[in-house]
Amino acid sequence: MHDISEEIPKHRTANPFASKGGAQKRKDVFTATALRLATYFILLCAGYIFVDIIIKGAPVVFKASPPFVNIDFLTKSPETLMTFETSDGAEHKLDFSDYSQFKRDFPDLKIVEEHSHAFSGGGILGPLVGTALLTGICIIVALFVGLTTAIYLNEYSSKGRFMDLIRLAIMNLAGVPSVVFGLFGLGLFCLVAPVITDAPMESALFTVPILFTKSYISFQGWGTCMLAGGFTLAVMVLPVIIAACEESLKAIPMGFREASLALGATKWQTIAKSVLPYAFPGMLTASVLGITRVAGETAPIMFTAALSHKDKLPWQDVNGVGGFLSQSVQAMPYHIYTVAARIPQSEYTRPMQYGSVFVFLVVVMLFAALSVFLRIHYRKKIKW
Amino acid sequence: MSETPTSADSFSGRDAFKRRGFRILGIGLQDVIRYFFGGNASLAIVLIILICFFLGREGIMFFPAHHEGLGSYRQAGQEFVDYMGEEIDAHTKFYSAANIAYFAEVNESSAIEDAQIATARAVLANVETITRKSWNLLERKIEEEVGLAKKVAGLAEGSPEIPEVQQMLETRRSEIEKLRVTLRAEVEAALESPDAWSTGGSDRGVGLTNIEKIREAVLFEAFPKAKEEHPFLLELKAASKTKKADTAARLIAFKTTLTEIQSAVKPLRTLHGELRKHATENRAVINSFKSAPQRRAALLAGAENVDDPAEKAKLQAEADEVVITEPDLVAMNAPLYAAVSKYAEVSLPLKAEMERLLQALPSTVSTESARENLDRSRSAYGSFKGVQKANRDRIPSWRHDLPVSWIKSFSAFLFGKQWITNSSWHDFYGLLPLLTGSLMISVIALIVAVPFSIAAAIYVNQLAPRREQEIVKPAIEFIGAIPSVVLGFFGILVLGEMLREVSQVEWLSWVPGFPMAERLTILNAGLLLAFMAVPTIFTLTEDALENVPSAFAENSFAMGASRLQTVFRVVLPTAASGLIAAVLLGFGRIIGETMVVLLVAGNKIKIPDFSEGFGVVTQPTHTMTGIIAQELGEVDGGSLHWRALFIVGMVLFVIALLVNYAAQQALKRFQKV
Repeated sequence: MHDISEEIPKHRTANPFASKGGAQKRKDVFTATALRLATYFILLCAGYIFVDIIIKGAPVVFKASPPFVNIDFLTKSPETLMTFETSDGAEHKLDFSDYSQFKRDFPDLKIVEEHSHAFSGGGILGPLVGTALLTGICIIVALFVGLTTAIYLNEYSSKGRFMDLIRLAIMNLAGVPSVVFGLFGLGLFCLVAPVITDAPMESALFTVPILFTKSYISFQGWGTCMLAGGFTLAVMVLPVIIAACEESLKAIPMGFREASLALGATKWQTIAKSVLPYAFPGMLTASVLGITRVAGETAPIMFTAALSHKDKLPWQDVNGVGGFLSQSVQAMPYHIYTVAARIPQSEYTRPMQYGSVFVFLVVVMLFAALSVFLRIHYRKKIKW
Repeated sequence: MSETPTSADSFSGRDAFKRRGFRILGIGLQDVIRYFFGGNASLAIVLIILICFFLGREGIMFFPAHHEGLGSYRQAGQEFVDYMGEEIDAHTKFYSAANIAYFAEVNESSAIEDAQIATARAVLANVETITRKSWNLLERKIEEEVGLAKKVAGLAEGSPEIPEVQQMLETRRSEIEKLRVTLRAEVEAALESPDAWSTGGSDRGVGLTNIEKIREAVLFEAFPKAKEEHPFLLELKAASKTKKADTAARLIAFKTTLTEIQSAVKPLRTLHGELRKHATENRAVINSFKSAPQRRAALLAGAENVDDPAEKAKLQAEADEVVITEPDLVAMNAPLYAAVSKYAEVSLPLKAEMERLLQALPSTVSTESARENLDRSRSAYGSFKGVQKANRDRIPSWRHDLPVSWIKSFSAFLFGKQWITNSSWHDFYGLLPLLTGSLMISVIALIVAVPFSIAAAIYVNQLAPRREQEIVKPAIEFIGAIPSVVLGFFGILVLGEMLREVSQVEWLSWVPGFPMAERLTILNAGLLLAFMAVPTIFTLTEDALENVPSAFAENSFAMGASRLQTVFRVVLPTAASGLIAAVLLGFGRIIGETMVVLLVAGNKIKIPDFSEGFGVVTQPTHTMTGIIAQELGEVDGGSLHWRALFIVGMVLFVIALLVNYAAQQALKRFQKV
């Protein structure tokens, strides 16, 4: 919106209402400039953070010679980095596995000035995979619950106390601190959630025998594992997903439903045939938005799923789906927390720190951009 | 009625709206679907209840256990001993501030010399770091040379290898010679580089006088490694020493007063030490009595599970050995009661002596720092007097068998000033240091974030051209997607260092708290959280402005108001409660944020020292969210400490609900407009 006075062409200065300038005008211009500067200062800060991380992080991930990408960084899991000098004066910087190999290959070389830097070698495959799995589980659970909730709120609801209560609960859920979700997930999913087992643990809250079998449903919790982490994250992101799904359902014109009902379709047929298919883009946006929110969260998975060091990737050496889901995983945010604050700092940990942060930031920001793009794209494309 | 009406006759109007389909108990398929969706929707309510339940389940037993712990604390007499401890601590504070003042005065006299020495040391260290690699190489070569020389000496009796070894020795020696030359050049080059002269600002410019001489001294000591110090440095040291001695001689009265202050408290210290030992033993007895039934039960259970009869008998015997006799608290606490009169004997002279010594402290000192510390010392004396006064009442009236009231136990948690865990004396779970930390960081974050985000919202919504609006708005909302752990990382590595460097700029030293000693501070965390809160507050404010009916603004324009007059006098007041809701929700987001404060706030569990005024923001602190994230992984499930962390989580939960409630009330008012 422009200043109104500026839009009036010059030749019509006879307008008696035209601004006469003076002190008020100067004050206006000054205030407007101050507001504008404040706005751009915020963007400047954001830009500084991005540029700093890109400048220091990109050289770790990319390199000047083909294949231009540091493959090792993306395909290895974090390892200890060994730095040492050999007696011929050469300096070496090797991951721990390569270091052992080096020692076997050159048993005669005398090694001096040897230092080890935890978590500074290898790559970030483990944490990346872990975050992808946690996010996947979370989105599946949250989308199921969120979509059904949104359908109920938008299609079935009639105003009343029950509805108010649900909306109040959702709003409050959105305000709960993430670390409290971590505590809740620990208390519920890790320590109490039900499992089916032949030999229930003594610490179970209670057990229910399943008829005609030797098994029990034991409320002993899932332990620290990716399933617990995914569920905790799902609870946390639920309000966001519900809001996004509801928005997409609201955008579908009432006429679709009315036409379907008028043709004699049942309520469910109407929802399944005339509402949900058109809500699909909205659901897609919702899940991308959910991924953005969830991937960066550290506090909820700290006690429920994450661990800092793990040799194997999640699919190596597991038995069955249950075993797969009930293992703890590395996760990007937790990995960044570890390398940023829990290990001794040295110049050799910098590449790992900035590399991880760079990759993580780029991935999360791509998803954020995707969600914005999807929203704009579908809003433009779909005209009822 | 059949599915397809065979003729028009069988169709009656009444049947048209009859509910059809298969039903059980009057519930048809459509209803089942409806209930399924409704059930999922009510999950949100269930989740809120579950959160309350599970936080409560783990946390609620904290209060009885904490209460019992406080009971033991009193029964063992630890409370009594800590009364005296408080007096001693207050005295130490008084003494140490005065002591710092004394040394500030003494050190100031030789400040220039000391700064020059410090600069020389720092530069020498820098040069050594820069040339470390060449040094290492040289040292290795010398090592090899020595080895070879030994070999030559060992093979003295005309052995044929000698020429070869000799040859090697020669090469080594020439290599060493060459290395020495290059190293010398390297040291000289390093001395020229600005890196070598970055002393971290510790000398504050004074040390950079006499640069030529310092350079000479460093060169002298850096290569070849000198055995003795350069005469210039020795001279400086001597000068510094004499100046210090002169000042000390001038301040001899001050020093005597300090010594007397320290020795005045000695009798109390001795008494406290004895009693403390006693109370520790008492506590051990009480703890073992309280845990006896459990240990016995565990041993008996173990005995039952063991098959081997000998082992069984052994465990049984051990279980029988666990005596469950109540300790005689009166006898145990007798020495403490006896100490009451001793305390009176010690305390009265201490009081008189300290009043005299307070007057004996010098009233005028020459340096700023000494003056500040003397003032601090005097105010610490005030609190020392307060503790003494309190002790004169509470020490004689203390009883070990008075039950601890529940109110006291609750307030010990909510208003307790100490959070001390894993201690051999007594674990204190006081929320206050964590709560102050959280609140201070939030307040700073809000002070910074609110003006910027509201200004941005006004600009984007009211003033910016449409094109600019379409770019700036998503860009600011984009900030909200930056993961908090990334911001925390940025705070540790970049912002902390940046703030410290800014704080060391000479002409900014008037700012309270500058120069900063720490990188990880309340200020650092507050700034990052402000940045995090901007998108939240911005978006909500922008919504509120958007929702103000356009007729309001149009009317205002029609009255001849300018755009900014309209914005500030019509639109903003209308949206005020929306703005309040935005700020409240921003606060909710800030106080619940975990990773940034865990990484950046410094994690020091202590109530910040407010005597520094605004400078308090340059201190490290700990927060409620941070302590949960930091300690929960390391404690045993079900222990008192674990439960305490869940209760802290519950406090956070309640704060979040209250903030949400307030924001909703504000929004409701806004919607009425």
